[in-house]
Amino acid sequence: MWLGIWMVVVGLILGVVVGLNVPLFIPQVYGKYLGIAILAAMDSVFGGIRAGMEESFDNAIFFSGFVGNTLLAAGLVFIGDRLGVELYTAAVVAFGVRLFQNLAVIRRKFIKK
Amino acid sequence: MPGLPLWRRGSKYLKQKFFSVAVIAFVLGLLITMQLRVVSQPPAEIIPGARAHELAAELRRLEEASASLGQEARDLEDKLLAATQGYAQAEAALKTEIEKNKTQAGLVPMVGPGVEVRIHNRPTERLPGMNEHLFAVRDEDILRVVNELWGAGAEAMAINGQRLVSTSEIRLAGTFINVNLNRVTPPYVIVAIGDPDVLQATLEMEGGVAETLRKYGVNFVVEKKDEVEVPAYGGTMAFRYAKPIKEGAKD
Repeated sequence: MWLGIWMVVVGLILGVVVGLNVPLFIPQVYGKYLGIAILAAMDSVFGGIRAGMEESFDNAIFFSGFVGNTLLAAGLVFIGDRLGVELYTAAVVAFGVRLFQNLAVIRRKFIKK
Repeated sequence: MPGLPLWRRGSKYLKQKFFSVAVIAFVLGLLITMQLRVVSQPPAEIIPGARAHELAAELRRLEEASASLGQEARDLEDKLLAATQGYAQAEAALKTEIEKNKTQAGLVPMVGPGVEVRIHNRPTERLPGMNEHLFAVRDEDILRVVNELWGAGAEAMAINGQRLVSTSEIRLAGTFINVNLNRVTPPYVIVAIGDPDVLQATLEMEGGVAETLRKYGVNFVVEKKDEVEVPAYGGTMAFRYAKPIKEGAKD
């Protein structure tokens, strides 16, 4: 488990370091997409941890969930922008609710153990 | 954490599992950093390219317009200043002109050296059957005196406080003398501004008006004064028939 946590932390730090040094600027208009992607990633990370705890982790489900959720959320943002409706709030709410649920499950598993 | 169900699994599977989570964590870190960098960008660079070009072009246009309008405003201010100055100068010139004209027309009280001429009827006994007006000072006498004084270079004159202007008359009306349509009564005091010596000499010269009048027994006194005051003309000056000839219409 500690190995897993360390790997997650190392992955995060690596991501931050790379993100700080990439000479690529994403324009502000795509900030929404990026925010949604962050939410999807967090959802996937917590979902993965939860699945790992529940011993139901599956790499294929994990990655496909991350990619699929991100794409769906991005699509929602795009359509919402075109329609003038803030559709991306749907993705934000969905990811947010799942984040809290996953966290709650993880918390319970920790406390029960 | 030892004791977790995960821990009992094979380490290879665990590593693979956590590696996946680590990859997503890496992506997460990358995305968060990028988002932070985007958010911390100065607002000006956040505007999309096309719009930014549009805004930059508009800014340039507005700056040019602002510059040209500022120039225009300065020009207009200069013009306004010049116009104001011109107006003030014109006003001052007009005032000076009006003052000059008023002075020449006799509408301004004047002061200066001159003479005071007092003419009084001869003191006569009242005899029965005598026409006392026969011995009185007449309008012609006063006219002569005034004429002599004008001739001697008098610049302003008044008879008993009546300023002599271009339309002033001195004429007998009944038994009284009218000046400026106002009745003047003896003693007649003629005040004239001019060279006192010249004025006095003109009146007192041999065979002059003073001598003539004194011969008739009129009480005639000429007094040189350092300062005499001539009042302003108090009547109206209306031209009902006379019209000025326009300079252009003369030809």
